[in-house]
Parts: sequence; C-alpha cells; structure tokens
Amino acid sequence: MIDQEHSNRQLLEPGYWTDGEFPANVLLGPNTQLKGPHIFRQFRSLVSPALTIGVHCTMDGVHFALGKEARVDIGDYCYFTNAMLLCELELHIGSYVVLGWNATIADTDFHPIAPAERIADAIACSPLGEGRPRPEIVRRPVVIEDDVWIGPNATILKGVRIGAGAFIEAGALVTRDVPPRARVLGNPARVIGEV
Amino acid sequence: MATARTIPDDWYPGAIPRNAVLDETALIETSYSFVPYRSEAPVGLQMGRGSGIYTGTSLHIGRRGRVIVGNYALVTAVQIICDSEIEIGDYALISWNVILMDTYRFAFDPAVRRRELERVPLREPRSITSDVPALPIRIGSNVWIGFDACVLPGVTIGEGAIVGARSIVVEDVEPYTIVAGNPARVIRRLNMEKSHRG
Repeated sequence: MIDQEHSNRQLLEPGYWTDGEFPANVLLGPNTQLKGPHIFRQFRSLVSPALTIGVHCTMDGVHFALGKEARVDIGDYCYFTNAMLLCELELHIGSYVVLGWNATIADTDFHPIAPAERIADAIACSPLGEGRPRPEIVRRPVVIEDDVWIGPNATILKGVRIGAGAFIEAGALVTRDVPPRARVLGNPARVIGEV
Repeated sequence: MATARTIPDDWYPGAIPRNAVLDETALIETSYSFVPYRSEAPVGLQMGRGSGIYTGTSLHIGRRGRVIVGNYALVTAVQIICDSEIEIGDYALISWNVILMDTYRFAFDPAVRRRELERVPLREPRSITSDVPALPIRIGSNVWIGFDACVLPGVTIGEGAIVGARSIVVEDVEPYTIVAGNPARVIRRLNMEKSHRG
C-alpha cells in the first residue's frame, strides 16, 4: 500500500518540527512542507501509514492529534494554517483544500453520551483508571472532498461529508453533510447559497 | 538609512517595519506579530495614543493592506487578515482569538482557487497573494468584541456596540447595540444616556 513516491524524510528541514522524533508512520509527498512547534505533540497513532499527505501541500502550525487507530489521508496542493485535526478513526481530505486559522475537524466526540457510561469513561481516563477499558465511543469517518474551503474557527464534526467545492464560512459549526459547492454559515451550519 | 526599530526586551529577533507608524505612547509587545506582515502601503499599520497590540496578535497584512488602531484601543491576541483597510476605533476592546478579516484571501470559484493553490508552493516563504476583492472593516470607537468572534469582510460595527463571545458578524452592527450568535443577531440595545462618555 505504501506509495513509493512518498517518504517521511522529504524536505523536512531543521526547525520545521521541533518536538522530537518524526513519526515513521507519516508519509509526505514531494514538496510538502510541515511547519510549527506542536505538529505531532498529540500524535499517538500506531497504524502504518497513519498520516499520508500528497504533493505540494503547506501545513503551517497544524496539530495532528491522532488516536491509536487513526488514519488520515490528505491530497495534493492543500493549504492549512493552524488547524486542528482530531482523529480517532478516519479522516479523508481531498486535494486543493484550504483550512483556515483555528479550524477544527473531529471524527469523534471523545466521550459517550449516556451519563452512566460517561462516569465509567471519567474513571477510565483518570489517574486511577490504569488499564481499565473505556466504553465504546462513537467514531465516524469525516470526508472533505476536493476544492473545499474551510474558514477560520470553523468546526467539522464526526460523520460529516463535505461535497467538492463547498465553502464553509468562518466560525461555522458543521454537523451534517454539505452538498457540493454549497456555502454554509452558522451554528449549526446552514446552506446560505452556492459558490 | 535609519537603523531598524526594535522592541525592548522582545523575545523574537524581529523589527518594526518602516511603514508602521506608532505613536510614542503606543505599545506593541513583540515583533513576532509582524511575521506575516507584507504591507507595502505608505502606512501599513498606524497605532494611536495609548493603544496596545499584545502577544498572540498576528498581522496578516497584505501588500496594499492598512490597519489603523485608534487611541487607547486594546488588541489582545487577535488575528488580523487585511488586504484593504481595517480601522479599529478609539477605546475599542478586541479580545483574544478574535478574527478580523477584510478578505477571504481565496476566490469563491474553486477553479480560480486551484490556480492560486498551485502557485503557493512556488513561493518562499509560502504565501497567498491572490487578487480577490477585499472589503474594508470599520470598528467604531468604544466597541467591545468578545473572544473567538469573527468579523467578516465589509462589516461596519457602530460606535459603542458589543459583539458577544464566539459571534460571527456577517452584517453591519448598529451603534450601541449588543449582538451575539452565529450568525450574530441583535439581542439588546444599550442605553445611550448611560453609555455617554462625557
């Protein structure tokens, strides 16, 4: 499955990432640039490859917060600035996608809905929870198709598919699928037009 | 040629750009705010008496962009994206993580966006320089904008208005009103008499 075009060492210059080892399960296409101090601070994925990024992408200050089983793939010519990618399962991002300042994508809510399960989860996550299994937590893949623009402070939640060319306004909170080329705004995000 | 102006005790080894006109009583905490600054306008940043731009603020000011910060205005960790003009009035209070953008920096048409995205990796440092329209933002005097709010291109916020935290302001705000929500809506009108500065 590993694309011979990709490598995890390409064009990584000193200072581009300053928090330790570059994970071996990250593959970058030629001329893709990662910058910022905390890119992999919360990178815990054990699958291989966990993160695949295509060619000519610019990822400036992006946080790749990937859980143990997370897989993220990103296409070509993407431009992300200080975005937060929270993934526990799957996140697919197409080509020519723009992610604005402080935009967040999450494929899970990280905790269960049911109150009793949340208590069990709080205990499992606590310093006293050593080894205790966490309850089942809903994870649903997020798909961002080609040519999508996502504005600053926007949030994309689990299970959402954003159609090609859609325009997600600044601060929009997207909880449902967005049709191709739709322009959405608000919390929750609603279609306000087309591009 | 004059020596570069620096900020005393600055943790970042940058300088204040030549076309930044700062009142001698104005405060800008760190030159790191100027890292994304590209303005070539005669005045790219103007700061009035007693105004302050604090740590965490990024001045993403494009080639023709101009930002005017009024007297005593307080700008705390704000993302300013400006390709035309952003005016922040006197006594304005702008909270942390607020986004003031007079441009989307990318065209609405995905095909046009593609062409720009193909040029980005050819530049060093990588940056966006597309010629999409920018619409000036005017923030009146005595305006207060809560944290995480966004002000979109072309918006005018009238004197004395308040924008609630995390609001997204997509249309003009009348003077002395409180708006909140995403998108922002009027939730109250302020008492003009009590709000008079005297």
